[in-house]
Amino acid sequence: MFLHIFKARLKCLIRDRQMMFWTLLFPLILATFFNMALGNLNNTEAFHPIDIAVADNAQYRENQQFRSVLKEVSEGDDRIFNLTETDPQNAEKLLADGKIKAYVTVNSKVGMTVRESGLSQNIVRAFLNSYSQTSSAVTSIVRENPASLRNGLIKEVSDRKEYTKEVSGSSAEPNNVLNYFYSLIAMSCLYGGFWGLKEVADVQADLSTRAARVNVAPVHKLKVFLYNMCAAILLHFSEMLVLLAYLYFGLKIDFGLKTALVLLTTFAGSILGVSLGAFVSALVKKGEGVKVAVLLAVTMTGSFLAGMMVQEIKYAVAQNAPILSYLNPVNLLTDAFYSLYYYDVMTRYGWNMAMIGAYALLFCTGTYFIIRRQKYASL
Amino acid sequence: MPVFRLCMKIIRKNLSSMMIYIAVFLILATLLSLNGTKTQETGFSQVKTNIAFFSEENSPLIDGFRSELSKTANFVEVPDETEKLQDALYFRSVTYIIRIPKGFTQSFMSGKNVQIEKTVVPNSTSNAYVDLTVNQYFNTAALYVKTVPGITQENLVQHLKTDLENSTSVAMAADTKANANQDFSVYYFNYLSYALSSVLVLGISAIMLVFNDKNLSRRNFCSPLSAGKINAQFILANLVFTFVCWAVMVGFCFLFDYRNMMIGNTAYLILNSFVFTLSMSSISFLIGNLMKERSAISAVCNVVTLGPCFISGVFVPQELLSPTVLKIASFTPTYWYVKTNNQIASLSSFSLSALSPIYCNMIIEAGFAVAFFAVSMVVGKKKRMSN
Repeated sequence: MFLHIFKARLKCLIRDRQMMFWTLLFPLILATFFNMALGNLNNTEAFHPIDIAVADNAQYRENQQFRSVLKEVSEGDDRIFNLTETDPQNAEKLLADGKIKAYVTVNSKVGMTVRESGLSQNIVRAFLNSYSQTSSAVTSIVRENPASLRNGLIKEVSDRKEYTKEVSGSSAEPNNVLNYFYSLIAMSCLYGGFWGLKEVADVQADLSTRAARVNVAPVHKLKVFLYNMCAAILLHFSEMLVLLAYLYFGLKIDFGLKTALVLLTTFAGSILGVSLGAFVSALVKKGEGVKVAVLLAVTMTGSFLAGMMVQEIKYAVAQNAPILSYLNPVNLLTDAFYSLYYYDVMTRYGWNMAMIGAYALLFCTGTYFIIRRQKYASL
Repeated sequence: MPVFRLCMKIIRKNLSSMMIYIAVFLILATLLSLNGTKTQETGFSQVKTNIAFFSEENSPLIDGFRSELSKTANFVEVPDETEKLQDALYFRSVTYIIRIPKGFTQSFMSGKNVQIEKTVVPNSTSNAYVDLTVNQYFNTAALYVKTVPGITQENLVQHLKTDLENSTSVAMAADTKANANQDFSVYYFNYLSYALSSVLVLGISAIMLVFNDKNLSRRNFCSPLSAGKINAQFILANLVFTFVCWAVMVGFCFLFDYRNMMIGNTAYLILNSFVFTLSMSSISFLIGNLMKERSAISAVCNVVTLGPCFISGVFVPQELLSPTVLKIASFTPTYWYVKTNNQIASLSSFSLSALSPIYCNMIIEAGFAVAFFAVSMVVGKKKRMSN
């Protein structure tokens, strides 16, 4: 009996083209758009050697020391600048055309010319500052301790050391594009609610003609509903697997190393989504349009707060209203993926999953108590 | 004008789904305007990056370091817990976490090779910026420690303070002028393209679906109204709808940003948005002609409007998109619209040479309008012939 109803239901669901679009194709399309829009984001944040020019005049050529320092930082793989030595007019032109960020002028003092202030321009300035600051230090040292000149002061000047040591914060890089994709998966999980919505509508005899017919059949209504829900969850989980596969293999989105747990989270997400839809459909005694609107409002508000549109929102919510981030189902799922990727400890993941489980349980029992034992005098 | 009236009736029936887009748009616009407008500085300004600073010891050397660092960095308070720090780094609330280990000062003052710990967003530009400051401070300090025997910390910090005050003078190139702050208007008009195209696609395709219904169109042709009149009223209705949508959306801008309304840049933004509206309405016309089912409207609408917005710089600014994506995007009018908006915002003079690229882009947008309209005419004709 189970197999019969289950199979028939699965076929029925797959044939619903509109639903298949929203639950399968739409997330895939959105993921593609996300990837196109965000693909370059990490690259723009990364440090690239800054294009600068230096106005080549007599004073610059005489200042051997400055020249060699400037050349030194413009060579090799870890260079700071891409340096062009050129005459002053050309440097001005390069700046006007946007080919360089700044050009350096050496007169009585070292100066620079820019068109706008930005991080790159400030780096150029910090570098030039360090030159004049070191000169100033040398002057005052010589004043204080003239003997130092003989004791290798000049050698010490050129012996610059690295005073920072990078300590990794976690085993994963803070690649902040990922949260967009995690929240997209979370949203798609909750889109499973469309299937849940349909399941209740197709079993409540006052909501659709199909449900009326099913109610006449000599099968226990709750059994039918349960079997149907199984079909819906299986279908939705398969759709989510397609999405995950596309993200992982197609778009090369990093999920960390705990693959089994990623799948488990997705499965929990599917159950959460489908049961949410069923609950909304049972609870809201209005037309289909209203039910869909309620479901969409919950999902979209949740996604917004989980940082799907602007990811800083997720952080702002966690900072200012931590309770909200634990009540928002989309954020719970997003955060579960995020914790799996980013944290080395599992505490937060555990909390997220516990909350997801609690929500799913609430929705399931809620739906059960609303739709049980309903009889219709006439339809 | 029965046909015209019918169109208006169809629009009214579909108003609720269109209002969602307008409402969301208005909420976002309100949030944006509350965000406040930053005053733009004319001179060179020091950029500061956000960092978290932890020190396991206190000494004059570290205090001096901290105050030196404050010239290039804002200190953000983050609780010293692993997860909180990781979160802050991930969401770029800070991009650099400094931790000075215990015993650092003592080792440093005795000339030993010591390092402070940093946790950073790997390879980022802001990382390079803070590194420069950190290394400059300690390299200069090391110079004193190695060459002035017996220098005290206080003395050292005093020296460093004077030395590090030396800074390079920065000149701004002559042709840069400060222009009025256009941030809000540009955001507003860029984002407007999403809301406006959604509303246009929803509305126009709803009308088209009714008129393209086989039985309805056959019945209409039996009416005593001539085909020409029907078409004229039909086109008029679509144009009125398009115009009203545009006027409403642009009208709200007056409410949010009345201070900037009177400057020339805004006038050009409005003109640009009008040209864009025309191209979007002709795209909607084509979609309406191709659409067969009512249930497909919202699906098509979402894909057709979200797609160009993502790749053309509405949601993510154009300068952050990769060149390949922008190439693809240049096949949509949205790309040209956003590009033109950005150019208009940076206009400081309205000479013909400054305006010509802007007019050029608008002509491209208008070209899209004509092209899509022509295609939809062909499609419509074919459809009628096959009926």
